[in-house]
Amino acid sequence: MPEPRTGVFICNCGTNIAKVVDCDAVAEAAAGMPGVVVARSYKYMCSNPGQEMIAQEIGDHDLERVVVAACSPRMHEPTFRRAVETAGLNPYLVEMANIREQCSWVHDDGARATEKAEDLVRAAVMRVAHHEPLERLSVDMCPNTLVIGGGIAGLTAALELAGAGKLVYLVERQPGLGGNVGRVDLTAPYLDSAPDILTDRITRVLEHPDITVMTNSEVVRLDGFVGNFTATLGVNCNDGPGEERRVDVGSVVVCTGYREFDASRATHLGYGKQPNVITSFEFEHMLRQGRIETKEGRLPQYVAIVHCVGSRSAEFHGYCSRVCCMTALKYAHEVKSALPGSYVSDVYVDMHAFGKGCEDFYRRSAEVKTLFLMYGKGEHPVVRRADPGDDCEMLITVDEQLSGETIELPADLIILMVGMEPREDAESVTRLVNISQDKDGWFIESHPKLDPVATTTDGVYIAGACQSPKDIPDSVAQARAAAARILGKIAKGKLEIDAMFAEIDQDRCSGCRVCNEICPYSAIEFDAAEHRSHVISALCKACGACVATCPSAAIKARHFTDEQIFAEIAGVLG
Amino acid sequence: MTFEPKIVGFLCNWCSYSGADLAGTSRIHYAPNVRVIRVMCSARIDPTFVIKALADGADGVLVCGCHPGDCHYSEGNYKTMRRMPLLKRMLADFGIEEERVRLEWVSASEGMRFADIVDDMTERLRALGPSPVKMALAGDAVER
Repeated sequence: MPEPRTGVFICNCGTNIAKVVDCDAVAEAAAGMPGVVVARSYKYMCSNPGQEMIAQEIGDHDLERVVVAACSPRMHEPTFRRAVETAGLNPYLVEMANIREQCSWVHDDGARATEKAEDLVRAAVMRVAHHEPLERLSVDMCPNTLVIGGGIAGLTAALELAGAGKLVYLVERQPGLGGNVGRVDLTAPYLDSAPDILTDRITRVLEHPDITVMTNSEVVRLDGFVGNFTATLGVNCNDGPGEERRVDVGSVVVCTGYREFDASRATHLGYGKQPNVITSFEFEHMLRQGRIETKEGRLPQYVAIVHCVGSRSAEFHGYCSRVCCMTALKYAHEVKSALPGSYVSDVYVDMHAFGKGCEDFYRRSAEVKTLFLMYGKGEHPVVRRADPGDDCEMLITVDEQLSGETIELPADLIILMVGMEPREDAESVTRLVNISQDKDGWFIESHPKLDPVATTTDGVYIAGACQSPKDIPDSVAQARAAAARILGKIAKGKLEIDAMFAEIDQDRCSGCRVCNEICPYSAIEFDAAEHRSHVISALCKACGACVATCPSAAIKARHFTDEQIFAEIAGVLG
Repeated sequence: MTFEPKIVGFLCNWCSYSGADLAGTSRIHYAPNVRVIRVMCSARIDPTFVIKALADGADGVLVCGCHPGDCHYSEGNYKTMRRMPLLKRMLADFGIEEERVRLEWVSASEGMRFADIVDDMTERLRALGPSPVKMALAGDAVER
């Protein structure tokens, strides 16, 4: 049988691939591979012109198979399947070679990366020759949603979904809802009250007939796939034995938030040693109590606010925690209005006032006579106890950048603007719902710009500060975005899923029933009369465990057949 | 010139392949010796795939799946966990060193771990030298 007519399309991904892999050389090598009648290299294959080029070449060369060497198939396989479909080719007759995530982004030796890219392209060319046209399956989309975390993001997502008439299960580990926003007094930059913002939402969530709130509860496991998940919940498991409950959901929104940096790790700031060095959250607590005072119950004359505690440092976290600068300015306002005679100083690295209304807020803060002192990134202010004759309790030594002088700053109360960090058990959450963490531990979105709330696992969304440090408006926007994505899927009612299930060749089946036992979904039935097993395709999840087990080689995994994988093995080994 | 081993990696789609992609998005560099083949679950990895890779000239085969307890298909990785040692014992009888076939668990968030495994395996195989299967096949070709 002659090789099917194959077209190979090498994406440069701007310079993402081309700066390491010689894409023209790969195209040239591909042109000599079995069955290849056209091989082209192009700047962006996923762009409209790129997709049109593929469609055009399918027509011009009567292509029967297409290979796209580009990013991970987990990124753009659906894109290229659609592209070949528009040109009349069955979407399963395309195969991707991952030459970005698993080649150009992880290697710097251009020659060896190019050689590897050629091997991966050859594997795809040889594999795709064995592909068969398949039809997609249509499955129902379960309209219920699981929201993990009852902070501002989780509450918002739940209300948005329930507002559209959909059932929501909201799971919160703590005894109460509200998350970290529940620990805050006023919010920057407009100084509206956090309790007001929250109370209204919490009440609406608790009273909503379509939202089931489970506090003191956790998600134990998540099975299934988009549209058809089953979540096992440990209800009331955090304050007793609890009970296990299973719920069917079509989507999951992860809103697990952040925890604050442990200030005692920044030892030079004296937290835990000097009684009047406190964290921003401890100061919020003080504000909610309505009295700014030292541990001894005195009114402080000198209040110092130190920025970037745990953030933007080589020692702890490299990233900016985004909310602390404006919160610090808010403190200056609140101290000045409560204690008009006090002196407030703001010890900062850079002032980040990027949000709407924030720059105005910064300007107004400068007007309320706050002393701003800039310290260098990589340096740190040092806190020590004042000497007996001083009129203050502590002194902060700052190498002030703008004046170039070393300044000793008096302080009776020092507020540390602690940054955000991923929760200690963020990794177990990623394993639970099968998503990824970046180098700092934040959850990773599907695309940093174009798909900010989806993840690489279809049907699992992320919103709020679990994705990266975020203020309330951004968390709310993400939560609403996630809800909108889910409602869009629910509105369609049906989901198209890959037609990848196992099939048993009845002539080869010996009726040994080994596969019956191995299938985790009980998707294989034994027909006693015929003495043969057969797969119930609606139950099969296409893992392929039975295929590798069958002693008679009678089971075929559609789209992952032995022939296809053997061809791929031969291909990568050239 | 130093010997550069070729490693065929069989990675499950849900955890390990995502983990390998994460190494990419995080720009974690590792040895360009591995060629990855994606399967839906590590339980799909038929022992014959490993044998075929060795027969076709691979110096090593890396099998990666989800951590025990985290399998997307509930328990597929437990099957892999039992199959691989059996296969390795058989391969040992054919004179194939144990280090050439390696089973590792890599989650979707373990880009760094994947990179470390590839680097470590590459280094070990460099020290071990070319696969005896490859050498025997090359020898056969010469004799013929």
